[in-house]
Amino acid sequence: MITLNHYLILSGILFAIGLTGVVRRRNLLMLFFATEIMLNAANIAFAAISSYLHDMSGQMFAFFIIAVAASEVAVGLGLLILLYKKYGTINLDDFTIMKG
Amino acid sequence: MLAPISVNLASLNFMTLSPMLIAIAGALGILIIDLIKKDLDKTLYVILTVLILFIDLGATLGLSLNDRGFFNLIVVDGVTILSEILILLASMLFVPLALTSKRFHEYSYPEYFALFLFMVAGFQFMVASDNLIMIFVGLETASLALYTLIALHNTAGSHEAAIKYFTMGALAAGFFVMGSAAIYAVTGSVELYDIARVLQERMDETGLMVTILGGAMMLIVAIGFKVSLFPFHTWTPDVYEGASSPTAGYMSIVPKVAMMVVAIRVLGMYIDLGIDTVRNVVIAMAVITMTLSNMMALVQDDVKRMLAYSSISHAGFVMAAIALDTTKANSSIFLYYTLFLFTNLGAFTLLWISRHKDKTHHVRYHHPYVKFSGMIHVEPVAAVIMAIFMLSLTGVPPFSLFWGKLYVISATVDAGYIWLAVILGLNSAVAAYYYLKLIVYMFLMPATDKTRTVYNNRSLALEIVIGIAVFATVTSIFYVQPLMRFVTALISASGY
Repeated sequence: MITLNHYLILSGILFAIGLTGVVRRRNLLMLFFATEIMLNAANIAFAAISSYLHDMSGQMFAFFIIAVAASEVAVGLGLLILLYKKYGTINLDDFTIMKG
Repeated sequence: MLAPISVNLASLNFMTLSPMLIAIAGALGILIIDLIKKDLDKTLYVILTVLILFIDLGATLGLSLNDRGFFNLIVVDGVTILSEILILLASMLFVPLALTSKRFHEYSYPEYFALFLFMVAGFQFMVASDNLIMIFVGLETASLALYTLIALHNTAGSHEAAIKYFTMGALAAGFFVMGSAAIYAVTGSVELYDIARVLQERMDETGLMVTILGGAMMLIVAIGFKVSLFPFHTWTPDVYEGASSPTAGYMSIVPKVAMMVVAIRVLGMYIDLGIDTVRNVVIAMAVITMTLSNMMALVQDDVKRMLAYSSISHAGFVMAAIALDTTKANSSIFLYYTLFLFTNLGAFTLLWISRHKDKTHHVRYHHPYVKFSGMIHVEPVAAVIMAIFMLSLTGVPPFSLFWGKLYVISATVDAGYIWLAVILGLNSAVAAYYYLKLIVYMFLMPATDKTRTVYNNRSLALEIVIGIAVFATVTSIFYVQPLMRFVTALISASGY
């Protein structure tokens, strides 16, 4: 029997994976994937809680997160293409000029 | 079978939404004008943007206090009105910085101004709601537009700044939604007033405190990223350095004010419920933010990076007031940021005027201290004006930020946190060192090479903006008292 707790644990694990990815990944594309995983972890939590409570606002939040995630990818990929055209790489370490 | 939903149009209360609608309609209008006739001069778009923001301000001032609209999604209380006025005022003052005498990449696109207005609308949604969905959507609308505005500057630095800010913003978004999910799991609601009511009832249940605090911490992390609190401040100096000066100056005011309003609403709710852990965490973060960023600012070689660290430390200063959650503290936040707006506007505009397409004095920095050495001999007026802004940021009495600091510290003392007031005072004293360093360079160092300090980006519009900033900074003693009364009246009218 899958209960609410299972969903929340899954969501927590996914969030941790996403967070690790954002902190560790140096490839921009992978980094974007990691941020998507973080947002989708929240989606799972919202959908599960919403169904458990028989309340619609959680699912509504999940839909808005999906929309925001899509627009975030649109802007992120735009930036990524710009960087790739200018510098020929999408590795974060390759174009770091500002430090300190 | 679902019953058909019928909505009475009058019950939606469209008036509450009018400020955002004006900004969005204006942005779409700009895009349409560009479709119809290409290659119009940027001056038209700048004036149009200022005009739209002005109408927007009128609509904001016409809102009735303590009103709700759109199924309680939109809240119009004192905090909303004050922050919207502040956001619009800042936007109106920062847009004319596009009217430089030199051409810059970003201003040749009308989309820049459309994005700018979309961003303003996003910030307005963010401050005008106590629904977590609405706050999130507003936050992301504004942030996504802001990343693009930074990248449009089209230098190597600005691309890097945009990507750094984007990554940090995505992280913050992740934390915000996870925190909201935790709150939703406990309370079954995404409306803050409902959340407060349920939390009040369920607070004493065993085992629930972990989830409540977990959610609160995630929201604090999200707020910390946007307000640039330690340890989430690391992006700030890099992004400010890479972005153009107007954008950097804008970022030091408006996104922070918007996020602080969210902090007042969300963290204020926890503190009102008597969850002291949240208050202690915020105070600890504020104190560390101030102290650490002041230390970091001491060792910077670039004036823009120094101002970035200074704005982090000012944000920490104000976060201490948010943790107090008294009416006086909340009013002092808005007073502080109004005064900070004019001072930072002036300082960043002066950097913008001195912008040269080549890095004349340093391999990496556009505005190293050396560039300003002996400025009093070359550009005496500009040097004196810059000195006024630096003294104001330090908190020297006749100038504006002194009054902001005074009110924040007195609110701290009134709330019984004497030790916090002492730390705030000490930090202001430390900060004096790096502000005065620039004054020493300008007034006491010999001029290196006169031709190199030429202010080639100067134009009448920029001079007018600086004039407004100087006027507001110098004459603050005359308007601080009425301003404080106005702010306090609005804040206390809606019970914050």
